[in-house]
Amino acid sequence: MLLEVNNLSVEYNIGKMSIPVLDNVSFAVGAGEIVGIAGESGCGKSTLGLAVARLLPETGAITNGQVLFKNRDLAKLSDREMDKEIRGNEITMVFQNPESALNPVFRIETQLNDFLKFQETDGNRRTKQERRRESIRLLTETDIADVEARISNYPFEFSGGMKQRVMIAMALSSGASLLIADEPTTALDVTIAAQINQLLAKLVSTHGCSILYVSHDLGLLSEICDRIVIMYAGKIVESGTVEQVFGDPIHPYTKALIAAVPGEQSVGNRLSDIPGQVPPLNKRPVGCNFAPRCPFAFSECLERDPDFELKKKSHGAACFLEKGA
Amino acid sequence: MVNGQRKNSDTTMVPETGGQDKAAVVHMPGPLAQQWGKGRAVMAGVWSSPEGRLGLCIVMFFIGVAIFANFVAPYDPYEQSIRDRFAAPSWAHPFGTDYLGRDILSRMVYGSRTSMYVAFGTNILSVAVGVFLGMLAGRNKGNAIDYSIILMFDMIRSFPQILLALAIVAVLGPSLTNVVLALSFTLFPFYGRIARTQTLSLMEAPFIKAGQAMGVGTMRLMGRHIAPNIMAPILVAWGMEMTNMIIYEAGLSFLGLGIAPPGASWGNMLRKGLDSIYVAPWMIIFPSLVLFVGMLGFTLLSTGLRIGLDPHERRSED
Amino acid sequence: MLLYTIKRLLWMIPTLMGGLFLVFSLTYLMPGDPASAMLGPTATQAKIDAMHIRLGLDLPIYERYWKFLTSALQGDLGVSIWTGHEVSALIGSVLPKTAILAVSTIAFASLFGIGLGALAAINKGGIIDKICNYGSLLNLAIPSFVAAILLMMFFGVWWQIFPIMGAGEGEGFWSAVHHLVLPVIAMSTGWAAFMLRIQRETMIETLGSDYIRTARSFGAPRWHIVYRYALKNSIIPSITILGMGLGALFGGAVFVEIIFNRQGLGQLIVQSIYKRDLPIVQGGVLVAMVLFVITNIIADLIVAWVDPRTRLK
Repeated sequence: MLLEVNNLSVEYNIGKMSIPVLDNVSFAVGAGEIVGIAGESGCGKSTLGLAVARLLPETGAITNGQVLFKNRDLAKLSDREMDKEIRGNEITMVFQNPESALNPVFRIETQLNDFLKFQETDGNRRTKQERRRESIRLLTETDIADVEARISNYPFEFSGGMKQRVMIAMALSSGASLLIADEPTTALDVTIAAQINQLLAKLVSTHGCSILYVSHDLGLLSEICDRIVIMYAGKIVESGTVEQVFGDPIHPYTKALIAAVPGEQSVGNRLSDIPGQVPPLNKRPVGCNFAPRCPFAFSECLERDPDFELKKKSHGAACFLEKGA
Repeated sequence: MVNGQRKNSDTTMVPETGGQDKAAVVHMPGPLAQQWGKGRAVMAGVWSSPEGRLGLCIVMFFIGVAIFANFVAPYDPYEQSIRDRFAAPSWAHPFGTDYLGRDILSRMVYGSRTSMYVAFGTNILSVAVGVFLGMLAGRNKGNAIDYSIILMFDMIRSFPQILLALAIVAVLGPSLTNVVLALSFTLFPFYGRIARTQTLSLMEAPFIKAGQAMGVGTMRLMGRHIAPNIMAPILVAWGMEMTNMIIYEAGLSFLGLGIAPPGASWGNMLRKGLDSIYVAPWMIIFPSLVLFVGMLGFTLLSTGLRIGLDPHERRSED
Repeated sequence: MLLYTIKRLLWMIPTLMGGLFLVFSLTYLMPGDPASAMLGPTATQAKIDAMHIRLGLDLPIYERYWKFLTSALQGDLGVSIWTGHEVSALIGSVLPKTAILAVSTIAFASLFGIGLGALAAINKGGIIDKICNYGSLLNLAIPSFVAAILLMMFFGVWWQIFPIMGAGEGEGFWSAVHHLVLPVIAMSTGWAAFMLRIQRETMIETLGSDYIRTARSFGAPRWHIVYRYALKNSIIPSITILGMGLGALFGGAVFVEIIFNRQGLGQLIVQSIYKRDLPIVQGGVLVAMVLFVITNIIADLIVAWVDPRTRLK
């Protein structure tokens, strides 16, 4: 396994409060796989992505668990080791908001030059010219027009879609084995988003890396991912291959999510939703987090929090229901 | 809308950073719906932080001393006693006496009156004129009124404040009233700029546009609906400008251009203290201390106002 | 960039014109008749009339303004009423002294303020940060002239480490520096404290921003983040303040010059106020204004150069 996350827990410390955001999360990503992390806003999926790359904000901290990447526990590495060896070389990220992802007072070519420089080790330093050529080559791969001229622009002169292409190009330039994509197309409009995702898929097959794709768009994930992990209120509630999870969902939440996606069957009818609200992270119910809203809940659900269990081969859920609802 | 009571208004105030004056560079409060009757909420906000509490206490203390100077001061501040000149601090004169034998403590007490008079007088005048003109400019964005008001603001702000005030007092003649007038003249553009920026962003707010569509007149719009909502950054700036005006009053009096002798001002006490620096250091120490505490008080109050009025900054107390 | 510069310079013109007009109209604020005020109670009517003509008081307002304007633009700021010397010459002789004071002050304040502010931001929540926070708050509460007097008392009178009078003219470079220490410290405490707080706040905000996170995701080493990226982003407000401060200090040096008995623009203006020598006051304030406007514009231009987004406004 390329990446193995075991029992990861993350907390945010705001003032005097500690808010648990991730609760005992475990999953794995294999080489060349695209794994989706799905869930609503606030379920902790972005935090999960950031935690793997150790890019949590100052207020966040890993309180428990391991992040085994190529058998090294990233949670135990120092910041400096992460900088030198992991980030930019083995693991790279693409973020949600392209507008704020680039430094507004530096030109694009300067920043690309820097990103390439950070990836180099002392043994293979390139010259500025070489990096510039490399930047141009990478950007051309992403179908940005007139690269040579535009590379000396400032970020505000690029559109959102173009900026995202730049970020993807750079992320893949490093030959990293794992790309963490945190809702990369959420802030873009639909047609651009489709192009970006196609680009991602194409580049992944040529570069051969794995992707950890965080998103709330189930439809999108079902199209591009190999395996998928469903999260709710900081815990993993179901995981398996895309065929398994979408074809034969076990957890009631998964079922409800799938049902909530508008499709042919909803034409003319009310769209189905999930009644109730996600519990606030610091006021989670005793027992299963989803029980208050679950149509299949029974007494045990309100008393004990179900652990994640494999129900079938590589398809599991955190639910007391044996074979699915 | 009943009596200007809006329950769920959601006004966004765009902070303006950078620019030509200190007040605008200070971090501005975020979204807030403020109404005239919300004095209590403001007080509560200020009280919520330790800075605000301390600042408010110090400020109230000085205001109290200024108002009740007659009762607080142990001696008549003008009473001279050649016999007791340059007396060091003692039980009779806790802060010593000056070159004319006048009790320093009493003069400091009355000096607070001078400081408060100038500080409050200047700020009230400046806020009134500045906010009015600023709102007018923001309301009329882009046309001749706006441009002429901005020009007036920039014209005045292109002078170092102290020099302009000095020059005006120089031609008007030294007196406390002239000091207030001169300082107000230099100060109102700062408030005006804040008011204008806030008004500009507020003009885009839906509830203002609705009001205009319903035919609410300019004056009513400005007074009833715009003014209350821009008061938050004005209040924060006011805190800072109070300290500045105390300094300027002291400075002008120090130069002999403020209160006429034998009037008491912390500034002119310092001047005499400087002249007697070898002989009577207490003439310097105590007025310096009281100036420092006074300014600290208003600075803390300003910080308290800033924290109290900005929901983001408020420390969570649960 | 060029376009922005031109636009900025164009806006400077009406501002300067307005400022000039303001200075000019100061004479009209004076109660009573300027001529008789200057000549004193013994003046005869003939002398007063002659003075009227000399001051140009017999001309209509717009003519006087035009005369004032054209002369000022040519560098002629009138003559001193008392000594008859040219105002521009007087100002020219003292201006460099104030300039030295102002530049030293803002340089010291910037180095201290920005440096410590950055340190406090990096050390956020730590002991250095707390010390800087309280220290700067205290410093903000001390006006420059109080600081000057206190410094003079402690380090000039009680412990005689530093000189308290003059600028050490004619005694060589190190004497001049020696004489500069107390005045510069007095003037810079407030500004340093202010710049510290602004730098700290801006830098904390910058360090938490998305683009810093992006750089980190590529493995940027910490020093690069802080010194190359964060600094350039967060220094922008500080530059604005620097420009503003430099211009303001030409006026703000007044107190320190009086207290330490140094020659300079501020001292010249104040002495002229005592002597009712209005042309010098006018000329001095005018020069200070022009310098203030110019330094502010230069600061704005530097900001626009550093942060290309401002050029769009």
